[in-house]
Amino acid sequence: MFRKAIIASVILATTPMVNASELVIAGRDSSYGEAMEFIVSEYNKLQPETKVTLVKRPSKGLYESLVLSMREQTGNYDVILMDDTWSTEFLTNKWLAPLSKAVEDKDFVQATFDIGRYPDVKGSAYAMPMVGNVAMFAWNRAEFAKYGLSQPTSWTDVLNSAKKISESSDTNGVVFRGVKGNPIVTGFLPILWGYGADVVDQDGHSTLNSPAAKKALDTFLAMKQYAPKGVDVYNADEVRESLQKGTTAMAIEVWPAWVPNLDNAEVSNVVGDIELMAPPAEVGAPAPMLGIWQLAVPADSDNKQAAESFIKFATSSAIQKALALDYGMPPTRNSVYFDKDVVSKYRWYPQQAKALASGKARPRIHNWAEVESILGDYLQLAMMGQMSAEQALEQAHARIDRIVKS
Amino acid sequence: MLFENRKQLSTLLLPAIVVLGLLTAYPIISVVYNAFLSVDIGSGQHHFVGMANFAELFDDFFFVTAIQNTLLFTVVASTAQVLLGLVLALLFHRNFPGRRFALPVIIYPMMISTLVCSSIWRSWYHYDFGFLNAAFVSVGLPPQEWLFNPDFALYAIAIVDTWQWTPMAFLIILAGLQSVPKDISDAAMVDGATGWKSTLYITLPLIQKQILLAFLLRSIDTFKLFDKVYVMTGGGPGNATETLSMFVYKYGFRFFDLGMASASSLVMLAISLAMTLIYAKRVMKGGKQ
Amino acid sequence: MNARVHGIVVWCCTGLFLLPIVWMFGTAFKSPNEILNAGASLLPTTLSFDSWLAVWQGSLFTLISNTVLVSLSATVVSVVVAFFAAYGLVRYRFPAKLDYLFLLLVLIIKMMPPIVVAIPLYSLMNQLSLLNSKAGLILAYQVYTLPFCIWMLLGFIRDIPLEIEEAGAMDGAHLFRRLLHIVFPLCAPGLVATSIFAMILGWNEFLFSLLFIHSPDKLTIPLFISNFMTEDGTAWGELMVIGIISSIPMLVLASYMQRYLLRGFSMGLK
Repeated sequence: MFRKAIIASVILATTPMVNASELVIAGRDSSYGEAMEFIVSEYNKLQPETKVTLVKRPSKGLYESLVLSMREQTGNYDVILMDDTWSTEFLTNKWLAPLSKAVEDKDFVQATFDIGRYPDVKGSAYAMPMVGNVAMFAWNRAEFAKYGLSQPTSWTDVLNSAKKISESSDTNGVVFRGVKGNPIVTGFLPILWGYGADVVDQDGHSTLNSPAAKKALDTFLAMKQYAPKGVDVYNADEVRESLQKGTTAMAIEVWPAWVPNLDNAEVSNVVGDIELMAPPAEVGAPAPMLGIWQLAVPADSDNKQAAESFIKFATSSAIQKALALDYGMPPTRNSVYFDKDVVSKYRWYPQQAKALASGKARPRIHNWAEVESILGDYLQLAMMGQMSAEQALEQAHARIDRIVKS
Repeated sequence: MLFENRKQLSTLLLPAIVVLGLLTAYPIISVVYNAFLSVDIGSGQHHFVGMANFAELFDDFFFVTAIQNTLLFTVVASTAQVLLGLVLALLFHRNFPGRRFALPVIIYPMMISTLVCSSIWRSWYHYDFGFLNAAFVSVGLPPQEWLFNPDFALYAIAIVDTWQWTPMAFLIILAGLQSVPKDISDAAMVDGATGWKSTLYITLPLIQKQILLAFLLRSIDTFKLFDKVYVMTGGGPGNATETLSMFVYKYGFRFFDLGMASASSLVMLAISLAMTLIYAKRVMKGGKQ
Repeated sequence: MNARVHGIVVWCCTGLFLLPIVWMFGTAFKSPNEILNAGASLLPTTLSFDSWLAVWQGSLFTLISNTVLVSLSATVVSVVVAFFAAYGLVRYRFPAKLDYLFLLLVLIIKMMPPIVVAIPLYSLMNQLSLLNSKAGLILAYQVYTLPFCIWMLLGFIRDIPLEIEEAGAMDGAHLFRRLLHIVFPLCAPGLVATSIFAMILGWNEFLFSLLFIHSPDKLTIPLFISNFMTEDGTAWGELMVIGIISSIPMLVLASYMQRYLLRGFSMGLK
């Protein structure tokens, strides 16, 4: 009741009155869908004359639906939910409408808001961050204690601890997503960045031929022997399962949505044992990977003003707090991360806020999907031992440079 | 005389021509056209690049591997499905207690959504926690690597496809058996042909067309293998399960590179046409009075 | 092979086919804890309805009725259109082998990867204002179902002895009467098998339904199924429940239609 009152007052303060209109929102299904449904119903309490239709797309289909619809300028959608790795492509194609100055807000974790600017961090905002996903590193404190190990601070530490644990017990040292394509790339990026290397530079040219990248890949490949058998085809399911069962002691890449189940006794054998932290760095400071879900207005929408007011509402602190508490959506606002109720429910949130603040986005290039896919192909070959680390990086480097030029 | 009337003929064919023409003329033309273009999806700008898309495809060893994998999968899976379907159809052609209940059970796998079906098997193939390895270990066999063995992964997916789609071959062949006119099968009985001999020399030739049809349709579908790979291995491990459809999907829907997507689907089309033309000809021909 | 051995053999084969389905039903009734710790077992130790409660919601009925409507209509359209076309192709004389050419084109359509068809078809549907309508979806499904049905029916129609039809024509039956009263009943098993397949194609179709429909009240079941498989993982229990719910209508339909498929039996074939 109290929360609702707060929400109501925030909206009154932040929302300009808009005339009756109809909004169509392209969102995602499952927990995102439920969260969006909640936003819509709250919004309707304040703007009863605006009819809001929520279209829940499957997560493996939202991208395709959005591209086709915006390309044909159907005007089907007024608000879209998008992954930050898509936005550069959408913006390059001029498919999104700029938002007004009124959306600027210092309360957002800087890194999550800047990811919505175009053409660079000084540009104007085209999207607002709704969900502040950031990839965390997980380690099982109880397992570590058994062997007198302490919290890993570098990837070499991770490798050594994994070795120790695997060799002295049935527990696997470390797990990651090894399946071909996007998963193996996001499994590898924390290590690559931890060594101070990157996939491409600002112009989209490959930098995979650097010595640091080679070292990172060597470390990544060395981890396979301390990972569960078959990690080459592991995806989110298998990674989560082996953490929850307690059969693996560390995970390179854990997303906030996976975390609540670790402490849920009904589906976890490791309640209270798993610690989360920003991924370790080998050189310099850690650079946790951002996975921001943003809200934006397509350029072909006929209701841009109403759409913007909806986006502002959906990312307001009152709504974010409710989403975090009731739907486990990681916020993008500092005020929510350090809110007393929120922290008492999610013990790892302070760590997560830290990770988010120092977060790094995947390369902001319009053909990231293609670059990622090429890297994923070669990482798999190296992982399977069908190619040496050096060869894999060299060939990926050459192919990425070729598509940049064309 | 009975079948000379052109007007009747056009009445019969017109609906199919209109529906298919309307729906596929534009897509087919645009695929052929785009295959020789470089298209920018955002601006819609395009320019002619000749055979460059094809050159790039055949230069890519992932694509060449995909062709090999797809062909191997098609041959293995469609043969397994038709043979198994044939055996089942012959078994079901004779009555036995509970046939009415066994038939729906046998065809149930193909009613299940492919997403669900692939997930079931992905869980079954799990090295540590899957049903199959649990069963193997419980009877004293060593656990198998299934999906992450690059030499076996494609066959593992073929097993899933066979489980799901053998019922289709089975139903086609069974329907063929059921359509064999009574007098022919009765005549065979009177002639004293029994058991496997009668099956081999009398029954099989009669349902030859259905067997070929089952082969044709299953080859076309297995050649388009996509969902199962997508859910189970993502094309890995290495490139053991990379298929042509995965390729087309990648270019068409992940990169929205219409030129490359069209070129790769033309290659796909050419191969599958070449492969199935022999069956197709035999299914089309014959029996025309 | 005597009848008893025969029965045992068939039931053993059937049992093998059945195992993954038993696992699907078992997992649907497992508690989340059992799914985590005893995922490999076929049956749950205690019945749990958690997954069923999680899946059950009001929109399920709309989803199923949309799917029934769309796939049934697509099947009826396809089977009728294909029946006429296949009959024409089998029985009539064509100049310059046009009939083979037509069949080949139909086959090529069937061979096209749906993804490549989808992008131009989207533009086409947009221009025809058929996006986001069930009629549009039924039409779009013809890309899959019509070529399939034409090819399926060819053989079955060809198997009908010409003499029977000629006898009908002597009695003065016109084309459509003949089709309805002679050809149609005679190729019933083929028609039934064809309709079952066409229905399945429409029932499980994902891509066109995803791209062409965006109103929540017009969505079909396959889109709902993918709810339970996200990039964050699979909700095993729920996925199995929706797998069961979405396959039952098809199973009921097929069980009902099998009597036409197995008519040979009722006529006393030994």
